Amino acid sequence: MVMIVMDSQELEAEAGETVLQVASRNNIQIPTLCHHPVIPPYSACRVCMVEVKQGNRTRLTASCSLPVSNGMEVRTTSERVLKARKVLMELYLARCPDSEELKAFAADLGVDTTRFDSYREVDDQCILCGLCVNICKESGNSTMGFIGRGTKRRIGTPFDKRSDHCLVCGACDFVCPTNCIDLKAIATREPIPRKSEFDEGLVQRGAMNIPFPQAIPNVPMIDRDSCNYFINGTCKICEKVCEPGAVKHDQEDEEIEVKVGSVIVSPGFEEYVPPTGDSYGYNVYPNVLTSIQFERMLSASGPYQGHVKRISDGETPKKIAWLQCVGSRDESCNSPYCSSVCCMYATKEAVIAKEHQGGDLDTHIYFMDHRSFGKDFDRYYERSKEEYGVIYRRSRVPRVEQDRETKDLLIRYVDDNGEVQEERYDMVVLSVGIQPCEALGDLSSALEINLNGYGFVETETYTPVETSRKGVYASGTVTEPKDIPESVTQASAAAADAAKDIASARGTEVVEKSYPSERNVMSEVPRIGVFICHCGINIGGVIDVPGVVEYAKTLPYVVLSDDNLFTCSQDSQEGVKEKIVELGLNRVVIASCTPRTHEALFQDTLREAGLNPHLFEMANLRDQNSWVHRGDPDTATGKAKDSVRMAVMKAAELFSVSHTKIPVNHDALVIGGGIAGMTAALSLGDQGFQTYLVEREAELGGHLRQIHLGVSGEDPQKLLKDKVERVTTHPNIKVYTGTRIEEIGGYVGNFNSNLKVEGAAENVLISHGVVIVATGALPYEPTEYGYGRNADVLTQTDLETMLAAGGESLSDVKEMVMIQCIGSRNDEHPYCSRVCCSNAIKNALKLKEVDPSATIYILYRDIRTYGYREDTLYRKAREKGIIFLRFEKGEDPVMEEKDGEMTITLKERVLGREITLHPDKLVLSRGMVPQDNMELAQQLKVPLNQDSFFSEAHVKLRPVDFSADGIFLCGLAHSPRFIEEAIIQAKATAARAVTIISRDSLETLGSIAHVNPRYCAGCRMCIDVCPYDAIDFDQEKRIAVVNEILCQGCGACATACPGGVSQQNTFTKRQVFAMIDTFMEG
Amino acid sequence: MEGLILVKDGDIASGCNELFKTFLTSGKLEAILVSQETPNGKMAFPALISDPEKLRSNILSPILPVSEASEISRMTINKGSDKPVGVVIRPCQVRALTEIVKLNQANLENIVVISMDCPGTMDVNTFSNLPEGKVPTDIIMDHLLKGTDIDQYLRSSCRTCKDPVPMNADITIGLFGVDLGSGFLVQAHTESGERLLEGVKLEAYKGEREKAIAKVRGGKDAKREAFISSKKEIKGIEAIADFYDKCVNCHNCMNACPICYCKECIFHSSVFDSDANKYVHRAKNKGIMKMPDGALLFHITRMNHMILSCVECGLCEQACPSNIPLMDLLIPVAENAQRELDYYPGKDPDEKLPMVVFREDEYRSVGEK
Repeated sequence: MVMIVMDSQELEAEAGETVLQVASRNNIQIPTLCHHPVIPPYSACRVCMVEVKQGNRTRLTASCSLPVSNGMEVRTTSERVLKARKVLMELYLARCPDSEELKAFAADLGVDTTRFDSYREVDDQCILCGLCVNICKESGNSTMGFIGRGTKRRIGTPFDKRSDHCLVCGACDFVCPTNCIDLKAIATREPIPRKSEFDEGLVQRGAMNIPFPQAIPNVPMIDRDSCNYFINGTCKICEKVCEPGAVKHDQEDEEIEVKVGSVIVSPGFEEYVPPTGDSYGYNVYPNVLTSIQFERMLSASGPYQGHVKRISDGETPKKIAWLQCVGSRDESCNSPYCSSVCCMYATKEAVIAKEHQGGDLDTHIYFMDHRSFGKDFDRYYERSKEEYGVIYRRSRVPRVEQDRETKDLLIRYVDDNGEVQEERYDMVVLSVGIQPCEALGDLSSALEINLNGYGFVETETYTPVETSRKGVYASGTVTEPKDIPESVTQASAAAADAAKDIASARGTEVVEKSYPSERNVMSEVPRIGVFICHCGINIGGVIDVPGVVEYAKTLPYVVLSDDNLFTCSQDSQEGVKEKIVELGLNRVVIASCTPRTHEALFQDTLREAGLNPHLFEMANLRDQNSWVHRGDPDTATGKAKDSVRMAVMKAAELFSVSHTKIPVNHDALVIGGGIAGMTAALSLGDQGFQTYLVEREAELGGHLRQIHLGVSGEDPQKLLKDKVERVTTHPNIKVYTGTRIEEIGGYVGNFNSNLKVEGAAENVLISHGVVIVATGALPYEPTEYGYGRNADVLTQTDLETMLAAGGESLSDVKEMVMIQCIGSRNDEHPYCSRVCCSNAIKNALKLKEVDPSATIYILYRDIRTYGYREDTLYRKAREKGIIFLRFEKGEDPVMEEKDGEMTITLKERVLGREITLHPDKLVLSRGMVPQDNMELAQQLKVPLNQDSFFSEAHVKLRPVDFSADGIFLCGLAHSPRFIEEAIIQAKATAARAVTIISRDSLETLGSIAHVNPRYCAGCRMCIDVCPYDAIDFDQEKRIAVVNEILCQGCGACATACPGGVSQQNTFTKRQVFAMIDTFMEG
Repeated sequence: MEGLILVKDGDIASGCNELFKTFLTSGKLEAILVSQETPNGKMAFPALISDPEKLRSNILSPILPVSEASEISRMTINKGSDKPVGVVIRPCQVRALTEIVKLNQANLENIVVISMDCPGTMDVNTFSNLPEGKVPTDIIMDHLLKGTDIDQYLRSSCRTCKDPVPMNADITIGLFGVDLGSGFLVQAHTESGERLLEGVKLEAYKGEREKAIAKVRGGKDAKREAFISSKKEIKGIEAIADFYDKCVNCHNCMNACPICYCKECIFHSSVFDSDANKYVHRAKNKGIMKMPDGALLFHITRMNHMILSCVECGLCEQACPSNIPLMDLLIPVAENAQRELDYYPGKDPDEKLPMVVFREDEYRSVGEK
């Protein structure tokens, strides 16, 4: 231990430390030019000079290389020091008069001009600090060095030749203070930029990087293919700059063995990458991007902060074209299937681009069929046209050409009248399709599961998450291209199947953490401990942390204020616990990163130290401060003091909050006995949960009873028979047919239902923890085209029944016309019924099988055979000679009847004229309409969408949950869909339901609201604004009562209540006013 | 159902009183709440009257000492009436009543709302201190018959009344567009209103009421607009503090307001309990702190709580012991805030309060376009 005096402060130092190190550790700023923490002191620039007194001698010397010695007296800002530094800066300015970086540095030291003439004999901005030479040496390479003497001294490579040894790592460029390194003059190798995979190659990344912002764990990793150390054993500079010493080059890949009962395969997909040199010019024309690249460009976290730019010149494009089906519906690239998502994402990209850029952007989408078949998708499609002015052109564009000079792009397309048109674009986006991911090859062999003909994981239609190997399940795009909601749903479905196999082991490996009993602190005066985190350099590099620590010591109730390099590290947490016990702290304030990621961790620390976790308050010094105010350290420090003061004043008002536990009923109620309801019940029953399945009709099966033909030879009736058989004999399932639900009361974990069983004298009362809604939809009953009056006009259901019976009743049919979108995509039902295109083609193919000579016309608006159906149905149908004729909305085909003969007329776009058909049978492809869902919606307090289907909590992230806890949704009650999709959804609801009924109890949150019964005026505003239906009205007492389990602590009620009668535990008015009051003092 | 009720000598007040009496004697109403002069004749207050003999109402008496809507709330908040009770209240009070019903602070079960075309009311002190020989009812009749300007007597919120014709009443007593020399108009708008008028002798009405109403409304609207535009924008904390400078923190405005309904005002609760150290700490901020300290925050908070339902009855201003012209601020703020949220308090009983309605497009002028 050495004691020195620096600027009249007595400071402790370790022997061997330099004066500069001691200064920076104590927040005393000494300017430097040639110093870098990873390089040994070089003492070239002399800017760091200080005045040192030892004994009777006083001298000026460089602090970076001066070791401390006992009794040393250092002055860092004496007049002599400042004067010497100024002269130095003038000399530097004389050498490099044009360097902006140097001018700024000099200005900070109070020097604007130089009195000296330029003595420069070399034409660069180099100040000879030697950082580049030294870092190159440090990294083990020594490519360059100093050349010449005196005024001719400069930096260069041996013999001024470009070096073969230079690895173009760029470290010299990185450290150069005046930005005067030209790598091309140093190295023979070309620098090869490492393209950021996450940003789709639009920008570069380092060898050390976090692959993407959501990576888990969210820490950097070393790319061994581009790290100098892994290439040739040099560098390791990262190890030296990492303060916590977290970089480990010797980490080895680990092989981990785990024993599991089920496996879920979910590796995702890879987008189709158009080959360089194909007709679209991808990778050749700079302004041709893939849709995924464009998606990154649009993202606020993307390479250009959400600005759309032309790669060729950085200009904002005025006109962008999207070309659909690149790598989809195309046998030439082995993707005969439809990728299912591109129509919607192209629409979304066009809309968002227009939102960003306003009216200044034209967006054109070139497509074949617009496949907006999902829930609410057609509404969005229509809005994109009407509200945003996105223009759609039905034409497949074969090639893109480039104007060499402007780098504009030219495409030719066929317009509605069949004429070829040419159009010029600033940018072209290729809407690339979904392909199986490359890794799937190895993975599937390792798992011994089969892939299908398209290279995706093979599944059977009615067991859509089971692979060919028992116990191995698949979810997401690995089985077929699909959108986010379907992927999330299928993931839950796979979880349900996987859980079924290992149901008996549920909970057997859980270890409960134990905590010491909580200290009662309510009668104590607040004793607050404040811990301020440097977060490495994240906070400490901007905010004056020691200053904030000192400031916090002056605040009321604060008995300890301290700092940590990383408060979240294990040893810091131990330190916090020790201090709580040692000093009897009863409130803790941690000023650090963000409660979003760390609040739970710190609260746990309090619990481990015997404090209630809600005696904790956090000040956000990183996400909302140092990251935002990087360029303004003084303001950031001021704001940090405000935040800490506010947190302390709130902490003084904190009180212990106990969490109430309520027991959970482990049974489930499934409403609706169709394929979805039965599947959900079976999944729950198989996982060991008692399930009540309630069906309104006398018989189970719902719509499945009317479906006779499968797309690829499946037998829907066998599926029905099997399911009914299993459901009715399952020991865990109790079926109630002919039953209505008169009342559902209670809430998540504790529902009570009153069932009215037909013919039974008394109602059945059941208790259950969850509800699954699988009430289905209805077929549209057509009024169009004389249906019901003319016996030759059928629905697809009628046709399918005839075909299933052998098709003999159709033997004299020579010509058949099918009309699509009956009761779909019109003003009354503005949504797509999703299944009718495939259904029509399925039946048409079956008829062709029965009678190959029959002529079949399908009149359509868009053919929406998404996924494999594109190949197995649509392509096949065209091969078999089924004729597809398109009509526009508002130009529906017209039917005339004369002497028992039908005539169908339609305006055909491609041919550009009217076509007249004379079918023997007209088949209407009718859509689906919702049940009368209002009564059930009101009973369950769940919402319906605009089309009166039930509304899920979140379209993408919670696709089968209702926003009300403990209630789930599957099947046609959600929206129109195929059998296999309903099965997936049903299994998903079972998995989601089990997350609740597998628990013994539910616990209230800490931040829940309370209504003070004494002062409640009964206005019920809180009830109206509560998004969770968590507040009831007590009619007798005329007051609002919070259901603590349902309350999510959002605070809407506290805001609505004018009397402050409804308040949140951890945001009481006193707490919030304490913060506001103290903020106003600042 | 509508028609004229003829009266002798143009004594409208007595005519109305007789009508109310028949409601009680026929047993159609169990009791009636109506403004009636106090024994000394210097003041009139709402009184709940069950004995027809005690009924001496004068609906033309231009005075509104307390909120009639608040009194109905006081009567019915815990339970509605089992038998029909009539309430005779002014249009602004019907609007206030509609608002507090939305806030579940009054129960209109078996309440028959009777309202009238309102010529306006005087401040309590103006009313009771009129110069010798001036009779309040005569001033009003003079105005109704001859159109004399009586603005000098009226409260500012009556001069600029938002709507002097009742909406949402069961029965309206019509004074505008009626030959008051011979009688007054009654209109029943609801079943319960019609039931009350059953058997009452009505003469056919042939006047041009709509036109007369349009004229009165037009006059009031013009004055209201001029009032709003004549008020200087009060912007910034200093200007607002200056406006409330005379406030003695008595909270009379809150007590008088028909909309303020909290059981205990948050400013009376323990939320703001403090200790001397905190006060001194806060005083140190600027070196000086005006006491009582919560006055300004009280007014801003109160405004925030009630402004969207403010029916501009002006009772807060009348209640202010310091004569702060509260309506100078409240009318322009109410106008702007209600327009912003497209809400007209008291107009539609089925329309939800803006606070509990989520509309994606609201407050466009503040947020992102």
